[in-house]
Amino acid sequence: MSGIERVIQTIGETVVVGAQHGGGHLATVEPGPTWMALAPFLPLVGVVICLICALVPRLRTSKLPAWGTVASLAVAFGLILATWLSLDGRTLNVHAWEWINLSWGDGPGRALIANFAFHIDSLTVLWMLFVTGLGALIALYAVEYMEHDVGLGYCRFFAGFSLFVFSMSCLVMADNLLLMYLGWEGVGFCSYLLIGYFYKKPSAVAAAKKAFIVNRIGDLGLALGIMLIFVQFGTLEYGELFANERLLHYKDLALAGDFAQIPFNVQLIALLLMVGAFGKSAQFPLYVWLPDAMEGPTPVSALIHAATMVTAGVFLIARMFPIFLVSEHALPTVAWIGTITALLAATIGMAQFDIKRIMAYSTVSQLGYMFAGLGVLTSVGAAFHVFTHAFFKATLFLCCGAVMHGFAGQLDLRKVSGLRSQKGWMIVTLAMLIACLNLSGFPLTGGFFSKDMILAEAFVTPGFRVIGWILLLTAGLTAYYTFRVFFRVFVGPVDYEPGDEHHGEPGSFHPHPPGWAVNLVLAILGVGSLLVAGVYFVGGEHGWVGSMIHDSSAHYQADGTHAGTLFGQDPHTIMYYVSAAIGLAGIAIAWWLHYAGRTEAATCRADRLAFTGSRVARWARDKWYVDEFYDFLFRRPLWLLGQVFYFIDRWFVDGLVNVFGILPRLTGWAVRPSQSGLLHGYALGTIGGTAVLLLIVWLVT
Amino acid sequence: MNVLVLMILLPLLAAAVVVYAPARRAKWVALTGTLAAGLACLLAFFAFDWADAATIQFQASRPWLPTLGLELSVGVDSVALLLIALTVLLGPICVLASFTGITGKVKTYYAWLLVLQAAMTGVFAARDLIVFYTCFEFTLVPMYVLIALYGSSNRAKAATKFFLFTFTGSVIALAGLIYVAWFNATLVGYDPALLHGTWTFDIATLERAAREMSASQQAWVLAALLAGFAVKVPLFPVHTWLPLAHTEAPTAGSVILAGVLLKLGTYGLYRFVLPFVPDAVVEYAWLIAGVSIVGILYAGLVCWVQTDIKKLIAYSSVAHLGFCVLGLVALNSAGLTGAVLYMLNHGLSTGALFLMVGMMYERYHTRSMDEVGGLASKMPIWSSFMLFFVLASVGLPGLNGFVSEFLCLLGAFQAGDWGGAVGGTGLFTLGPWYAAVAGLGMIIAAMYLLYMTGRIVFGEYREPAGHHEHDVLPTDLNWREIGLLLPLAALCLGLGVYPTPVLRALEPCVDQTIAIVTGAADSGVEIVRGGETEPRLVEGGRP
Repeated sequence: MSGIERVIQTIGETVVVGAQHGGGHLATVEPGPTWMALAPFLPLVGVVICLICALVPRLRTSKLPAWGTVASLAVAFGLILATWLSLDGRTLNVHAWEWINLSWGDGPGRALIANFAFHIDSLTVLWMLFVTGLGALIALYAVEYMEHDVGLGYCRFFAGFSLFVFSMSCLVMADNLLLMYLGWEGVGFCSYLLIGYFYKKPSAVAAAKKAFIVNRIGDLGLALGIMLIFVQFGTLEYGELFANERLLHYKDLALAGDFAQIPFNVQLIALLLMVGAFGKSAQFPLYVWLPDAMEGPTPVSALIHAATMVTAGVFLIARMFPIFLVSEHALPTVAWIGTITALLAATIGMAQFDIKRIMAYSTVSQLGYMFAGLGVLTSVGAAFHVFTHAFFKATLFLCCGAVMHGFAGQLDLRKVSGLRSQKGWMIVTLAMLIACLNLSGFPLTGGFFSKDMILAEAFVTPGFRVIGWILLLTAGLTAYYTFRVFFRVFVGPVDYEPGDEHHGEPGSFHPHPPGWAVNLVLAILGVGSLLVAGVYFVGGEHGWVGSMIHDSSAHYQADGTHAGTLFGQDPHTIMYYVSAAIGLAGIAIAWWLHYAGRTEAATCRADRLAFTGSRVARWARDKWYVDEFYDFLFRRPLWLLGQVFYFIDRWFVDGLVNVFGILPRLTGWAVRPSQSGLLHGYALGTIGGTAVLLLIVWLVT
Repeated sequence: MNVLVLMILLPLLAAAVVVYAPARRAKWVALTGTLAAGLACLLAFFAFDWADAATIQFQASRPWLPTLGLELSVGVDSVALLLIALTVLLGPICVLASFTGITGKVKTYYAWLLVLQAAMTGVFAARDLIVFYTCFEFTLVPMYVLIALYGSSNRAKAATKFFLFTFTGSVIALAGLIYVAWFNATLVGYDPALLHGTWTFDIATLERAAREMSASQQAWVLAALLAGFAVKVPLFPVHTWLPLAHTEAPTAGSVILAGVLLKLGTYGLYRFVLPFVPDAVVEYAWLIAGVSIVGILYAGLVCWVQTDIKKLIAYSSVAHLGFCVLGLVALNSAGLTGAVLYMLNHGLSTGALFLMVGMMYERYHTRSMDEVGGLASKMPIWSSFMLFFVLASVGLPGLNGFVSEFLCLLGAFQAGDWGGAVGGTGLFTLGPWYAAVAGLGMIIAAMYLLYMTGRIVFGEYREPAGHHEHDVLPTDLNWREIGLLLPLAALCLGLGVYPTPVLRALEPCVDQTIAIVTGAADSGVEIVRGGETEPRLVEGGRP
């Protein structure tokens, strides 16, 4: 204990006094040009355009909301590109306006400062590049995808879409934890709005609600973590926080392995923030909302529930890496939770028939990889996987969306087959193939390199080898379920039936292939997914992403213990071969079970081998009953408790009040007979009273 | 004329005009009266010296009952002025909201509505204890009439319960307040022969004197004041009048009830309990906070099982104001600022929610979620506003509710024993566990409010059996209704993204209160406890 006290004392002498109204940043953070602060607000222009369109009947039937959104997002992307080019490894801060400023005296910890101000470093730019870039592309896709709903629905969709990009930009660009929290909850709300887009559908409304509430559980952890950071370090601003002498001191202690000297309350911060990250990034045990979120329109699933919002948890941990480093158990927990999630979601994904749900579980699983990556201290690997995943998972979703759109809402992989052989589906099939190869870690794709970085690191981190094996197994499962979709839906014999949105005779149905906007976006994303592997080879040891991470708070320089070998070889090199083999094996199994010898959409060899009918497969298809378990454990008891409380409120709490209300009446009722108006009664009373008084007087004297 | 007096007299004048004007003009007269008060408030905003916000400004006083030291005295600091602004803002909105809803006995209705506004303004403006108490109690009469005459089916019971319940509480609070005045009188050297001039009910004087009470005296006064103010807030378990009164009250009644009348309780806590009995508050903060937290969770879960929308929102007030009181007893800058801000924000967002429900009720004549739902397809404008105010109420960052809720929780969180950590505060009244458990209320709030939204706004359209279109109102909102919602929405958004001016305005007041509570206040009057004789109070510091 004396050690801690000594530490605190030293820190008390060395803490940097910085927290003052509007300023006081440390030298490493430079003020940036004002135009950089425009990027997050540009999407709001889109919101305003949508609002105007919704209000003006003449504009309501136009596609202006969509094009307004696309344009504003494209300009925002341009601004981010310009920011990136002029950044040059610096950390900039741009102040927009004061938000929550409160002070109660002078000195550190005496002021709460959270402004609309932006912290721009390479980590910010990395995230913003794909948030705005993919945002613009997916908005373009949605121009065509949502055209059935031109009118109020169209306005609502694009308003939510733009608002989402605004919130996500705040989350990523914020210079303090509270503004980050604003973005954090803001994206949750936009997600709520867009999952519930088809608001007449009870399942969509329920899914939206579930997403918001489950996220709120995580948000409470995040909020408490933010409060604890403030109490411990007296600031919420990144610049000051990361330069905090006390934090730096703890970091030195942590890197030396001396966690005993770091106060428990400081170590707790990361564990609290982690809960928030688990909620937003759909990690076990809070992942249950993400698969249900597929009720939203597909562009939403692609942007929010695959590429950007769900990576917010990874961003949070990467941004707060110094805080996580000083916590002994936080990062190992992150690694294990990520691994468990990756495996669990992959097993569920293998058994689903709804292609969008398969992609949803795949997203959960891949997020698990990213968390595992963070947990084994390769923030570069995690960020790289976020980056590649954003491209190929968006592509996968958009391809699924094209199928859904073309086949009247059909998502069942048993009911659509052989798209490749049909007219007009070439680009979709090719884009899908590229994305599937990425996801299954096919050699030389982006997904291959990013996944390997995490796998190799897991194998060489002392104590995490088991995680490496589990993730390797999961990689095989991933390749299997990915190509299960591809072999069932995109190749094989031509066979299909329409989904629920087709009204009329099944025979009268003709699938309609995607139009130019969808094809264009898929082509761009397909090529992008192909090229994204290239960033591994440019700019420094760990590629471009590595150099971006290097200049940010997420940077972590591994010490000597991470330089181990695997099977006597360099881990990265050996992992190339091992994971490539595993991935190829998965693909091969999928080919054998779902493609080879298949003559119709509905059945394949897997069915003949009774894989799909087995009990285990059914359990996996029913998502291991986790939802039912939560319902039984939390929702129902709480609902019951509410009913009990309401009963108590009406009959006991209020009853007690009513008893007090009745007391006067009871008293009145008790003494009423005495006021009978009969003279002899009063006379008796008078005599009796006098007698009693006399008795008292006599007794007293 | 003093602008505060003007703000009290204008509605009263309008009420008098309403009584003598023809019935069809009543609403226009009421609107003019409330708008005139609004203008006066705007004037006050410009004239107020915001840099010196903790000083009582616009002071005016006139002897009332000199033998007892009673004075008709008014004056405001920034806290009071902002709450008056909330009152005055809700005035015209309530009048506008009643245009089509109130069809019978309109003169009585608008007259009492105006009187109510005057009384509420008086509560916040009062600088004399008895003026405060008179106005405080007088708000009951107009509210009683509004509920009893214009409420729904069970209105008589609700009105009586509301009146008796809050009245009983207030009488006990009055006893506590009078005890403080008596204590002050004796402190000066109470002499029955020299009654004249020694009794005073001046709040500033009593504030200084009350702090000299012993620990047990403070505790008793705290108990007495809590009895009155906790009923008004309302804190668990004395909240049961609220759901009933809210469900039965007409729309404007509910708006004022939630918007302002509940704030009389929290304002009372802020204005009297904290400065009068600071030591007792510090000692019993854990208890008050505990009761608040129980209220947050309990009322939140009760909300979740409601089918009556108005009742749901009424219970949500119990939960919400729990956060407010939690912030108050955190007794630090974040908590107190958050609590005062919470009073304003809750008035805006919950007031607006009651307006929304009223607008729906006027069209569908039901408050039951089982009978009506899926209004998004029928009333998109109404639904958009509803969703907006629900989000403000849920505490979505970027809207007003978040700022105050976060500050209240942060205040409670900070108020623990943090050892050497820089962000701790001087008083260890609460701690992180209070914030963590109360924070569960944020999750529950999302549960019940989104549950309500999911049923009322979203889903398949449902309407009550025998529903037919209203003959005056269109299917969706008309311009009058949009117009009265827009200022509230603008304020919810404005206070969400740029609360800085309000935070700045509250800072000096909050600092002053904290100084009092921590005992660091320079009272300006030195109180000397004279040897064995009666304690004496000496002006100027020298005996």
